[in-house]
Amino acid sequence: MEDGYPDHMRKSIEKVEKTRSERVGKTFERMGAEESEEVLNRFHPDYREEGKKELVVGPSKGEKAPVELAQLLHSPSLIDPDEVDLSQIDHDVDILIIGGGGAGTVAALWAVKEGISPENILLATKLRHGDSNSMMAQGGIQAADKEIDSPIQHYLDAIGGGHFTNDEALLKALTEDAPKIMKWHEELGVMYDRDKDGDFVELPGGGTSRYRLHSAGDYTGMEIMRVLRDEFRNKDIPVLEFAPAVELLTDGNGEVTGALLMNLETNEYYVVRAKSTIMATGGFGRLHIQSYPTTNHYGATADGLVMGYRAGVPLRDMDSVQYHPTGAAHPDQVVGLLVTEKVRSLGAQPVNVDGEMFVNPLEPRDVEAAAIIRECYGREKGVTTPTGMKGVWLDSPLIDELEGEGTIEDRLPAMVRQYKRFGIDMTKDPILVFPTLHYQNGGLVINPDGSTPVKGLFASGEVSGGIHGKNRLMGNSLLDFNVFGRRAGMAAAKRAQKAGSPAKLSLEHIDKHTEDLEKAGIDTKDTSPRLLPEYRGKKVLERHLDISVTL
Amino acid sequence: MIQMEDGYLYYPGCTLKTKASDYEESSKKVMEALGKPLVEMDNWYCCGAVQSLATDDIMHQIAAVRTMLCAQEQGERELVTLCDMCYNVLKQANKRMKEKPDELETMNEFLDEDPDYEGQVEVHHIFELFRDMKDEIKKLVKKPLDGLNVVTYYGCMLLRPNHVSIDNTEDPMIMEDILELLGANTIVNPKRTECCGSYHTVNRGDIVENRVEEIVARAAEDGADVIALSCPLCQFNLDYHQRVSDHKIPVLYLTELMALSFGMEAGLKKHKINPRGALKDFLE
Amino acid sequence: MADQEEQNMIDIYVMGRRYRVPEGLTIMTALEYAGYKYVRGCGCRGGFCGACSTVYRKEDDYKLKMDLACQTAVEDGMFLVQLPFVPALREAYEIEDVDPGEKDNVLLDLYPEIARCVSCNTCSKACPQDIEVMDYVQAALRGDVERTAKLSFDCLHCGLCSIRCPADIKHYHLAQLARRLKGRYLDLDSSELEKRIKELEEGIYTEEYEEMLKMTIDELKKCYEERKFEEEG
Repeated sequence: MEDGYPDHMRKSIEKVEKTRSERVGKTFERMGAEESEEVLNRFHPDYREEGKKELVVGPSKGEKAPVELAQLLHSPSLIDPDEVDLSQIDHDVDILIIGGGGAGTVAALWAVKEGISPENILLATKLRHGDSNSMMAQGGIQAADKEIDSPIQHYLDAIGGGHFTNDEALLKALTEDAPKIMKWHEELGVMYDRDKDGDFVELPGGGTSRYRLHSAGDYTGMEIMRVLRDEFRNKDIPVLEFAPAVELLTDGNGEVTGALLMNLETNEYYVVRAKSTIMATGGFGRLHIQSYPTTNHYGATADGLVMGYRAGVPLRDMDSVQYHPTGAAHPDQVVGLLVTEKVRSLGAQPVNVDGEMFVNPLEPRDVEAAAIIRECYGREKGVTTPTGMKGVWLDSPLIDELEGEGTIEDRLPAMVRQYKRFGIDMTKDPILVFPTLHYQNGGLVINPDGSTPVKGLFASGEVSGGIHGKNRLMGNSLLDFNVFGRRAGMAAAKRAQKAGSPAKLSLEHIDKHTEDLEKAGIDTKDTSPRLLPEYRGKKVLERHLDISVTL
Repeated sequence: MIQMEDGYLYYPGCTLKTKASDYEESSKKVMEALGKPLVEMDNWYCCGAVQSLATDDIMHQIAAVRTMLCAQEQGERELVTLCDMCYNVLKQANKRMKEKPDELETMNEFLDEDPDYEGQVEVHHIFELFRDMKDEIKKLVKKPLDGLNVVTYYGCMLLRPNHVSIDNTEDPMIMEDILELLGANTIVNPKRTECCGSYHTVNRGDIVENRVEEIVARAAEDGADVIALSCPLCQFNLDYHQRVSDHKIPVLYLTELMALSFGMEAGLKKHKINPRGALKDFLE
Repeated sequence: MADQEEQNMIDIYVMGRRYRVPEGLTIMTALEYAGYKYVRGCGCRGGFCGACSTVYRKEDDYKLKMDLACQTAVEDGMFLVQLPFVPALREAYEIEDVDPGEKDNVLLDLYPEIARCVSCNTCSKACPQDIEVMDYVQAALRGDVERTAKLSFDCLHCGLCSIRCPADIKHYHLAQLARRLKGRYLDLDSSELEKRIKELEEGIYTEEYEEMLKMTIDELKKCYEERKFEEEG
């Protein structure tokens, strides 16, 4: 196996090895309150005022959002309304679902249960059906079903975890529906870990006062998602893959009446008229807020926030973003993936490029993250990877020095295996870490039935806000998309059963948005939604000819 | 015959786990009673269900060879099968590997990262074990099958081709000998080595119906209460295709009758023609 | 970006065309570095979704290898092609109608082509998750739902097994069916869950919720801070 570290990193590791014996048994002093506050203020992404921008257009005008999101909200539309012919309708349906992750799939299934015929539903998604953060969640799903637990206890844990900023009615729905969701999954055949009597094996999660986390091995999200998708396919619900929505359509009076889709391979647009439209596009990790790596999938580019906002739905809690202090920073194959806190609990120290300690390993999460960022970008003592990322060493071999040989392999087997794949033996060499962008806490404002303040538009999953307030607990996002996907699907179905076909399809709200931007004096070459992140090499882009080739 | 210390390494085959579970259950109970339990292999593969006879077709031997390899890697040399089809396919493929070193070499090249098959495993049918345990069987008979008229049916796979036959190809007596130990009346029937129609059951039911009618009509003429056999496919054909016949003779696995004579009930669940009437004197 | 000149550059061949890329990238990021923008063939970028199935061969090696582009480091002299879509037939079914306890072999009924398996093991060799694919197909053939479900649990549905299979078996669809059969029929239902659902239907938490919703933030904070943790007893 080749060495997983290139020469320049190997040189830094030599320095780490030199100082290791001096560091054994020593701990870097904890920060005082003053320093903590300073490092948070200066380096924690949520505290950096320059990381945020006040919105100058739209329903949440005056509120703050991350610069990267604000840039999209302050950009004109990807499309020119004058170039689009809305009179020719390609899909005329009861329910249009935008997004093929967990929330969209659940919504479709419950709309069918509610009596909507599958052929009167259309699920349009940007990538493949199932490509989503839902698929990637490893940890588990919360539901209070043990005798020692209760939905009330679940509610209390979540509202405290959210710093008491959660929407209370949404949180009640989340915690009260949770057992019903588990029952539904049981009927669908989700392979949860169970004990010999059939009861779920449950674990504690950060901030939960009960053992409440249900899991399916290390692949909980994937197991739930692939079962939901399988059931969806059994129901023969129409899907358009690689066909993201690029704008919502309205009736000109503030009611949503469908959407404009785009075929990502041919650039052809499709007009969809729908009695109800459900936004389920997920979060914004791939905007790389403040240049952070992310645990998110390729398509998490905030499209739903942009489209929903333009159609008149306010945003909430956009000023908070969930980061984890130690994401993998090298090798590139695992960048952004979580390195569990247990590594530090067992005694690994964070050290810089010169092998020096700079922070206590067990500061609170936000402080720990901020100190790592300070080391890399405030003091320039980080290690640069071949892809240009920075990070600090987590000196894992110290664990064996402290606890005896074999401890690492014994306690962290999965991690050891993961790094081995790329030529890194974490029992002998340190691993490189940096905070990683994990979750969009806020989003579009919704009601407990999944409807938004805009008629005809529903939203569920990570694109919506309020359920988790300013901080989500582990295990509540898999639950969230199930609970609110279901509610949105049912409410959208009820509306569709009552409503006639929308009389008008228009992009007037886009014209209005363009006017607002002009009035606000915003002039930008960007357009939005973004659809896909840009990762092409700089040299190639510099020589890129912006012309299209036709046969 | 070489034996495992605590029993015999056993290759079930797929059908024994589904349609022919009566055969597996009764065989396991009988062998357990005989003090030589069947120990299922840690891992095994579908035999392929048809022996490919083309001289250049090595690919279709691979499943059988993999199973042999599993036995080898488990440290065993003797392998026992129940199903006639599995017996025949495994035995022939194994023989081919033993007798054609060039083919074994090609096979091992293809197996690539897997260990090489060394050609040392021997394949046996469960009846061969019974032949070697006559005294033990006799001792276990608690309820002799007195007065039960049994016609045996061998079909093809235990006897043909000649070089894999477990007994005399034209005049086998292996089942008759065992039945005699159980106290049953055996009737030697000339149709017992004829083909039941085999896989024609899938798309040419008419062929199988004709074959079955000939076989059961002769058995009825001979006064059979039941037919005894071991092949799950023959069992299915003889049992199922009697639906168009005037005859309704129960078709049993030999081991079901053995279990019965040992005073145990095993199998008797998946028969289309319920055997309980014919066996009522021997059931509790 | 770090100074690219300092890094070792290597040659890769994308569908035959040579590109120079820095060492240490994944196949996925190397293609992006070379100027490709993914529409298909890219999903979670973390080894969970199976969108980036890639076939490659290394110089002087006769074997075709298969892996996920996001989880495999690029190597000098790699010849690459991506397979972002596998058109494998999937059988629809109603989960209520496929109780494996009521039939000989539900898996074989829905996917009869598994009987064509000759045990060549090409599927297992193609699997980027190191699943014993052939072994679970064999288990399915004998109706062993439990073993099929367990062996296939790490499946990402990338489809590489089915692309390579000489018997045209749809391994991953078969495996999905087996896992749902296990979850639905073989696993016992949770009696604790049943009880909780009954409680919710009876409305025994309604009053507590109402009280909780009426609380001021300070009252809530007090409740939160005073809550007892399960592990503390």
